[in-house]
Amino acid sequence: MIWLSGAWAVFEKDLRLELRSRYAINMLIMFVLSSLLLVALAIGQDAVSTKMQSALLWIVILFSASIGLGRTFVGEEERGTVLILQLSVPGSQVFAGKLAFNFFLLLCVNLIGVLVFVFLLNLDITHVGLLATTLLLGSLGLAGATTMLSAIIARTTNVGPLLPVLLFPLLIPLLLSVVSAGENALAGGLGWAESTSDLTTLAAFAGVVITASVLLFDFVWND
Amino acid sequence: MWTRQENIPESGLKEHPHVRIGRYALVRNTVFLGLTAVVLAGFLVNIPRINILEHTARNLYFHVPMWFTMMAAVGVSGYHSFRLLQTGSLIRDIRAMQAARVGAWFGVLGLLTGIIWSKFTWYVGTDVWWNFDPRQTMASLQLLIYGAYFVLRSALEDPDRRAKIAAVYNLFAATTTPFLLYVIPRQLESLHPGAEGNPAFSEITEPVMRLIFYPAIIGFIGLFWVLYTQRVRIAWIKYRVSRDPEL
Repeated sequence: MIWLSGAWAVFEKDLRLELRSRYAINMLIMFVLSSLLLVALAIGQDAVSTKMQSALLWIVILFSASIGLGRTFVGEEERGTVLILQLSVPGSQVFAGKLAFNFFLLLCVNLIGVLVFVFLLNLDITHVGLLATTLLLGSLGLAGATTMLSAIIARTTNVGPLLPVLLFPLLIPLLLSVVSAGENALAGGLGWAESTSDLTTLAAFAGVVITASVLLFDFVWND
Repeated sequence: MWTRQENIPESGLKEHPHVRIGRYALVRNTVFLGLTAVVLAGFLVNIPRINILEHTARNLYFHVPMWFTMMAAVGVSGYHSFRLLQTGSLIRDIRAMQAARVGAWFGVLGLLTGIIWSKFTWYVGTDVWWNFDPRQTMASLQLLIYGAYFVLRSALEDPDRRAKIAAVYNLFAATTTPFLLYVIPRQLESLHPGAEGNPAFSEITEPVMRLIFYPAIIGFIGLFWVLYTQRVRIAWIKYRVSRDPEL
């Protein structure tokens, strides 16, 4: 319970800071909106296959995550609050709190992204539950990888565009699974029965990434 | 000049790469002679002419050992990254880095030989150069990960911190790649032998090809070992002189 309360405190602190400035959430939403608008305009009136719709949605989500969530730990470095955080709570709680906050941000992004996608690209969702599960599991794995890597890039000198470079090669298994499960959830898709192996992969990916992060996080954090 | 040695952090000196020059030279010369013999045999020994495959079958002696060597290098690099986090001694970082670097070169060579080979066999008569074959995809992803690993290293300046952070990334990346073994084969079709219903060696394979193929694997892994140990020693000397192991 003490462990949970420490993690919750970190999450609450980030949420409160975010609600004060609303920088990350506004930027993420604007990024998703403008990139989806670009996609919709570039495609025009042509019909797009469900595979393409699923792929485009996830590419927008991946790019917004790599841009918006990279500041998780860089912000602490800039504000000079790393030391106080290190003193107050153990590393694993910091990681859990940050992970929860990033997961929360990603869920907002997903929600808005899907709604706008339905509106702009005439997305026809037959299996809503399947799409929601896919987005949930995919976001969990994505949040795990992004949180860990943003801790890594906070230690580097040129933070800039490093996160996408480090992140994308690791996310290929995730991307392949979410795109195929997302395709199954859209109109004419195969539904739950054909998506179990994709969903298992997503759950296992999230589990492995988060476990590895918890094991390795202390080496980055207590440097 | 050597007085600067005193400044080297204790952790760096613990594991000094001792080299027994006699034994080293023996292994190195064996590798060189053996590889020369393999290359000569690979080009000169008569092999059966199979339709389409023709003389490109000789690529078996070069393309396949490149993959084995890269996998060995990935293993060596990951092992030393793990040991670095345990011990904190910088020689582990040098080893992980150099194994990754030499291994990446073998990966590039494997990819190139594979692309050329497939162009003239599987895709003969088409304009296809690149296909998302599972093994091709996995190899190019491993190269991307090593590319990111090198970029990350160049963004870190303090050697101790660089060693630690790079090792963490190397291990973190290693935990996600096994998923590809499970995910990719379900989504992409493989033409590679060794996949379902397509044995790596069939009964029409000339026995002499195995006699050249197995030594070729050992030979190229040996070549990796020679290049890798050489680079480790150069990096170590450079570290002792300049306190910066990057070459």
